[in-house]
Amino acid sequence: MSKIQEVYEAVEAGKAKRVPAAVQEALDAGCDPTAILNEGMIAAMDSVGAKFKAGEIFVPEMLVAARAMKKGVEVLKPHLSSGAATGLGKIIIGTVAGDLHDIGKNLVAMMMESAGFEVIDLGVDVPKEKFIEAVEANPDVKIVGCSALLTTTMPSLKETVAALNAAPFRSKIKVMVGGAPITQAFADEIGADAYTEDAASAAQKAKELVA
Amino acid sequence: MIIIGEKLNGAIPAVAKAIAARDSEFIRQRALAQAKAAQDEDYFEEPVPLYIDVCASTDPAVELETLKWMIDEVEAAIPEEMEHVAISVDSPSAAVCAKAFKLCKKPGIVNSVSMEKDADGIVKTDIVFPAIADTEWGCVALLCESGIPQSVEDRMKVFDKIMERAKHYGIAPNRLYIDPLVEAAATNQAAFTLFSECCKQIKSQYPDIHITSGLSNISFGFPGFRKPLNMAFMALAMNAGMDSAIVDPTNKDMVGLMYAVELLKEQDEDCMNYISAHRQGLL
Repeated sequence: MSKIQEVYEAVEAGKAKRVPAAVQEALDAGCDPTAILNEGMIAAMDSVGAKFKAGEIFVPEMLVAARAMKKGVEVLKPHLSSGAATGLGKIIIGTVAGDLHDIGKNLVAMMMESAGFEVIDLGVDVPKEKFIEAVEANPDVKIVGCSALLTTTMPSLKETVAALNAAPFRSKIKVMVGGAPITQAFADEIGADAYTEDAASAAQKAKELVA
Repeated sequence: MIIIGEKLNGAIPAVAKAIAARDSEFIRQRALAQAKAAQDEDYFEEPVPLYIDVCASTDPAVELETLKWMIDEVEAAIPEEMEHVAISVDSPSAAVCAKAFKLCKKPGIVNSVSMEKDADGIVKTDIVFPAIADTEWGCVALLCESGIPQSVEDRMKVFDKIMERAKHYGIAPNRLYIDPLVEAAATNQAAFTLFSECCKQIKSQYPDIHITSGLSNISFGFPGFRKPLNMAFMALAMNAGMDSAIVDPTNKDMVGLMYAVELLKEQDEDCMNYISAHRQGLL
């Protein structure tokens, strides 16, 4: 088995202790750091995401895999050209005003990070103005992700997206929405660019949006 | 949770019948059905053992030979790859226990001793403890001396005596499965309170010790509607520190409950055992 394959399998199995050692071994064997990241870790997280979507694995296993990957990235970071681990660009993410749910939003943030994005997490109960300010402060941001977990905060999501749509920077960003009560139809109606139903699909979709 | 499977007991009419007829097939099937609840290495990172209790409940004159037959059948039924399955040798006679455990191929647990005297007048601990001292065998110890003590204080006095004997014979606390005794709630409403208080005190003194119980006693007197009570007892007793139980391992509701409670008690890192149990088909 190649050293990169070993990294891949350790990440996929969520072996937080094994991953850093496997990454180090791959580096020692002369593997390209970017290949270790992309073909070893990010590819493994893609597989984890696909298995989660298929119902083969569960939320804790996705968390464990992401945690294992993070440990590996720590070892890899000094060897990567700056920004390689976040090469896909910046994403701003948050749960909209009035809504305090963060589990789904955190899962999405984690999967985005594992996919190679730099994630700026604004937290929960985020007013629309704060989303706008965050984009203005990060002109290189590529995607804004807004989450709403309650039927009662769907109007708040609508307002947030409307505010983003009216902003001068709108053509430079993509807006993604998600959350239990959200549907593709609702996303279309409020003018978001994309809706996905779970964290794994969100990461996949984000990659497509910036491709 | 360390499960002690209760389904091979001569006190169960179907088992008594199989013993009398020397029905190997019956015994082997029951043994294997219980063993299947044991954690499999393919799913669990660190499987805990499961013990299959073997109790003859026959005339004392033929008890040892009956146990030998049962032990041989159970061992024949359990495939070698089920490494984490062993036997719990069960007899009301400490003298029989002390002989019968030697008939097993691998270490399990002796069920049980107490501070009561055996038939020959020697205290049970003093028969079994020296016999298992230089082995890897564990031992269930009941907190009774002459009858069942009716206060926490009195049960803990028996516990102190048992621990003193264990120390004397060099039995480490982690080899002991203390049964604080469960009485029927129908006749003693304080049955659980007594049990849980004992659990807490025992665990605070010896964090490594095991606590077990034949918990279905709690629901005696409620024929046909015992299950909710047994399950409630299991959850609450686990919360008080019980980490083993003498139960039917083929009862998925009960087994599932045990995994669920461990998860809620933060004894299941990243919920992996709960997920593994699901994958192995235990829930």
